[in-house]
Amino acid sequence: MKTPLVSHRSFVDAPLIGILIAVVVLMAILSPVRFLSPLNLESMAYQLPMLALLSLGMMISMLTGGINLAIVSAANLTGIVTALTLKLLTGGDSASASVAITLVAMAAGLMSALAAGALMGFLVAYLEVPAILATLGAMTLIDGINVVLTRGYTLSDFPGMLLAIGNGAILGVPAPFVMLIVVVLALHVLLARTRFGFDLYMIGSNLTAARYSNIDTRAVLMRQYLLSAAFSALTGFVMMGQFNSVKSNYAQSYLLVSVLACFLGGVDPFGGVGRLSGMVLAVVILQAISSGVNLMRVDPFFVTAMWGAMILALIAINHFSGRWRRSARLAEVARTLGVEQRPPPVGER
Amino acid sequence: MKSLLNRSEFYLALLILLLCVVIGSLNPHFFALQNILGFLKTSSVNGILAVGVLFVLILGGTPDVSFTAIAQVVEYVVVLATLRWGGDIAVGFFIACALGAALGAVNGFLIHYFRVTTIIVTIATFNVYYGLLYVMTGGGVIFVVPRFFKDFGEYLILPTTDASGGVFGLSLLTVLWAGALALGWFILRRTFLGRSILAMGGNEIAAERLGIRTFWVRMFVFAFVGLLSGVAAIAHTAIVLSAIPNSIVGKELEVIAAVVLGGASLFGGKGTITGTLLGVLLFAVLRNGLVLLNISSYWYDVAIGIAITVGVSFSAFQQLRSRRSKVNVIVAQAA
Repeated sequence: MKTPLVSHRSFVDAPLIGILIAVVVLMAILSPVRFLSPLNLESMAYQLPMLALLSLGMMISMLTGGINLAIVSAANLTGIVTALTLKLLTGGDSASASVAITLVAMAAGLMSALAAGALMGFLVAYLEVPAILATLGAMTLIDGINVVLTRGYTLSDFPGMLLAIGNGAILGVPAPFVMLIVVVLALHVLLARTRFGFDLYMIGSNLTAARYSNIDTRAVLMRQYLLSAAFSALTGFVMMGQFNSVKSNYAQSYLLVSVLACFLGGVDPFGGVGRLSGMVLAVVILQAISSGVNLMRVDPFFVTAMWGAMILALIAINHFSGRWRRSARLAEVARTLGVEQRPPPVGER
Repeated sequence: MKSLLNRSEFYLALLILLLCVVIGSLNPHFFALQNILGFLKTSSVNGILAVGVLFVLILGGTPDVSFTAIAQVVEYVVVLATLRWGGDIAVGFFIACALGAALGAVNGFLIHYFRVTTIIVTIATFNVYYGLLYVMTGGGVIFVVPRFFKDFGEYLILPTTDASGGVFGLSLLTVLWAGALALGWFILRRTFLGRSILAMGGNEIAAERLGIRTFWVRMFVFAFVGLLSGVAAIAHTAIVLSAIPNSIVGKELEVIAAVVLGGASLFGGKGTITGTLLGVLLFAVLRNGLVLLNISSYWYDVAIGIAITVGVSFSAFQQLRSRRSKVNVIVAQAA
């Protein structure tokens, strides 16, 4: 796969860079001194990975025209299974678990997330359940299991190694941020340079065409949900380190924000279109807004309402710009062919 | 008889009967008339919401998840308005229906105009409605609601006194639920509007070419869901006699699961009032049974998850099979 699928036209991200600059300037004006202080920038670097990992997991699902509504639930499941395994293996004294035991527990957590991914993959790829419904069912099921496993309580006391994933620093750089950079680079290679990445975009553009082009669409969809679940698992480990506890209903508002990040990052919810650079800029923008309004002590419920309103606004913007682009393209085709322009077909849904 | 065996409602009814027998044999109190009338009263909130969800699912696409946020907003507004300006149950219903229908219509407009899938739009409006409710009320709880809610919730038809002196009877809320079911049945089966909703769920483009005004049909469905959410909010207030900002939200998946189990296809165009009633009853019996048998209510959430997952898989599998058999017919004809 030598030709990169995504064209490297420069300035594709210009609007997003513009928004980012505008947001940073706005926040710096609204809370001067504090927003650009090293302390706030450092705390943003600690908070960004959680949002980014969830959004990237969501993006992978959206590339094939799917969605993963269970992304936060699977992250919680990972944390809960890891914590319970630690407790089981150490006989209750989780904080002093050895490295080997911690790794075993993390493997158990990862496996639980992958099992959730396999369930979604099976439903979507083999039973052809629409992704939005399959993952809705999985989300409800996993949330239920999370509550049963924890009995609604909070579990805490983790070994230092796990805490370091969320809280540690490598040469002064926050550890989760370093991990995020590595993950983004790996994902870039996967999406732009491998057969699997290519297939993801192909399936999202046209599932039937992909199937007739000798792409094993079922296997690719299955692997896509496993990969998406792996991002949930990574998020789960970061969350364990940062909150020093796990619970069945942590971070539920992040589902909305990760969908918002994909919309803002230019990922087409119908599949086939979406660039990693756009996603990275989108999560930085959202984190800057989130940290900024947090500094201003805005009511968190107002922030939730604001995320919802932003999704609606983006839907509207995409709608109008998409319609203009489509009609411009139709006009261009009509001109080249020298035919009269016909109205677009009714009812595209 | 054969047609009966082909209907999912039949199996659902059998399942409910089986569940009743199991629970009843383990705890005979289950079959007491007080218990049955009791859970018929408390299930009326979910039952009324389920009728609205059925309409959205028949229309096709993905489920609406914002109806609980609408009910929550309506509950708060009605209680605050009647506390401040007075009024009676009729005023309460009027405000609830008008506000609910308006909030639902916003969903319908966004979904139709921007042609975005229902669940994405309603996740967004859920957060807008709910977030703004919290911001405006500061998350405060209202423990004292106007007197008429209590009178309405406790009104009994055919009150009977049992051996220990307690009074029981058919609650007005159960009648309200029955009314919502009857209205839903009438619209779906006896009006052109109902046929249009089913037609749009089957094939929207075909429905549009037939001359059905899809915009207005969609607006009706979402306004109707909002209206029923308003009615459910009144029923909920009459039961809990307080307004707590997070007491209704969170029920949405439970209601959707009940309707899906009732045989409504998540692909649109299919679903019955009978199935919806049975789906709600199944969950009501299940919840009641878990309480009577002293089983941890945590398992209830798992049961809902399994119900949704199995429900969507089953309808997807049926669709897959019918598509395959159609292909086989075409191949056979060509050969």
